[in-house]
Amino acid sequence: MTDWKLIAAARGLGIPDAEMEKIVPVMDALEAGFRPLAAGIPPAVEPAVIFSCAPEEDER
Amino acid sequence: MTILEAARALRAKQVSSTELVSTALERIAALQPKLNAFITVMADSARAAARRADEELARGLDRGPLHGVPVAVKDVFATKGVRTTCGSKVFADHVPDHDAAVVEKLAAAGAVLVGKTNQHELAYGITSNNPHFGAVRNPCDVERIPGGSSGGSGAAVASDMVFMAMGSDTGGSIRIPASFCGTVGLKPTFGRVSRYGVMPLDFSLDHMGPLTRSVRDAAVVLNALAGFDPRDDTSSRQPVEDYVPGEDVSIRGLRIGLPENFYFDRVDPEAAAAVRRAAETAQSLGARIVPVRVPDMAAMNAVGRIIVQAEASAVMEPYLGEREKFGADVRALLDQGRLLAATDYIHAQRLRRLMKQQFAALWKQADCLFTPTTPTAAPRIGKLTIEIDGAVEDVRLATTRLVRAINVLGVPALSMPCGLDRQGLPLSLQIIGPPFREALILRVAAVVEAAVRS
Repeated sequence: MTDWKLIAAARGLGIPDAEMEKIVPVMDALEAGFRPLAAGIPPAVEPAVIFSCAPEEDER
Repeated sequence: MTILEAARALRAKQVSSTELVSTALERIAALQPKLNAFITVMADSARAAARRADEELARGLDRGPLHGVPVAVKDVFATKGVRTTCGSKVFADHVPDHDAAVVEKLAAAGAVLVGKTNQHELAYGITSNNPHFGAVRNPCDVERIPGGSSGGSGAAVASDMVFMAMGSDTGGSIRIPASFCGTVGLKPTFGRVSRYGVMPLDFSLDHMGPLTRSVRDAAVVLNALAGFDPRDDTSSRQPVEDYVPGEDVSIRGLRIGLPENFYFDRVDPEAAAAVRRAAETAQSLGARIVPVRVPDMAAMNAVGRIIVQAEASAVMEPYLGEREKFGADVRALLDQGRLLAATDYIHAQRLRRLMKQQFAALWKQADCLFTPTTPTAAPRIGKLTIEIDGAVEDVRLATTRLVRAINVLGVPALSMPCGLDRQGLPLSLQIIGPPFREALILRVAAVVEAAVRS
């Protein structure tokens, strides 16, 4: 499992220990549900986010 | 009285906009201490707008059924010169210099904005127990949450303060308060209603829509709001329709999918039974009930949570230096988002594409789906867990369980009352449709509503 406390400390997020204690089990549960899904994505699948090259209002 | 009834009364000169708005303001003043549904009341500008509406209608300038009707918007919608707090201490003094597209369109339709509704802080939660502006209370039982995040909008409509209040929905935030307060709530297709000028929670999951007293009223509002907006990158050019169902519409021959998996698991038996009764009603009116198996909605919920957390934390990270300005629950969610890896977010958006394809296959079997909106009626304020069928579950996760995935898919969904539980609390039906088929789900909802009310 991921060491969330280590990540928070390494990134300097400044999350107090008492709050981190509550976050860790939530993140563990989310990771357990999500990581197996992510492992099965075919390589060619692109993300469903939108980017357009068309000039935006303030660029016109 | 509904929007359409008020519109008829205005044109028959049985009532004026000034009278409707005065009544709304009086009711807000009377109920605000009990329900706390509003953050800002705009009495002076509302009275002036009402006088303008009366003058326009008197000289034959008719902007349609919303003309002269008092409405409210959630405090995430930018209002020029009027503070827009997003229910947050961070934005407590934020006064925009522009109106949100939704506010512009409501004004163009002649609606009279009477105020900005209270909500869950930053629209990031489902209780509307706001640490900065106070808890919103459910008009059906003031000891219970109204749902959220658009809780003030739900309470304001359910208590007859206004005819319509706008909400935003990132993981159920229109449909949940509609369910708990006993109103109609419509989350249109992603891109159908402009997000311009709305404080974002999540760029790719936020949807804007109305909470109303009737299905046709929701359709009236969608008529005023739908359409392409070049200021919103995700706005759709898909043509708009007349969304208001005619008086003689039918659902004969329509295929209503009733999920065999997921949607009736861990649902309060009374809530499940109410939805099944609504399906039987639809069947008695000529619709065909089709058992369907839905894809892995729990996986979609996990994907939705990753996207919500990553995007919301990106939006709010600059403000997290002052941690004390956030409520404990929202701060925890924002911290969780900051712990995710970039690859988690990208994977979630890739899975979203795959899941959209899987779900689209359902529309070959059914024209729309009937499900519960929430697994229970409104929980009590302050309750952190609920027990459903013997299993104890976190209130937020349980309450969003049947609605969050629909934001991941971006398809339209409507919540409407379909009965009361033994305690007299509203139970609700969620109707989910294919992309841009709002007219279809509104038609089905209008037929069911008429049957349930009769």
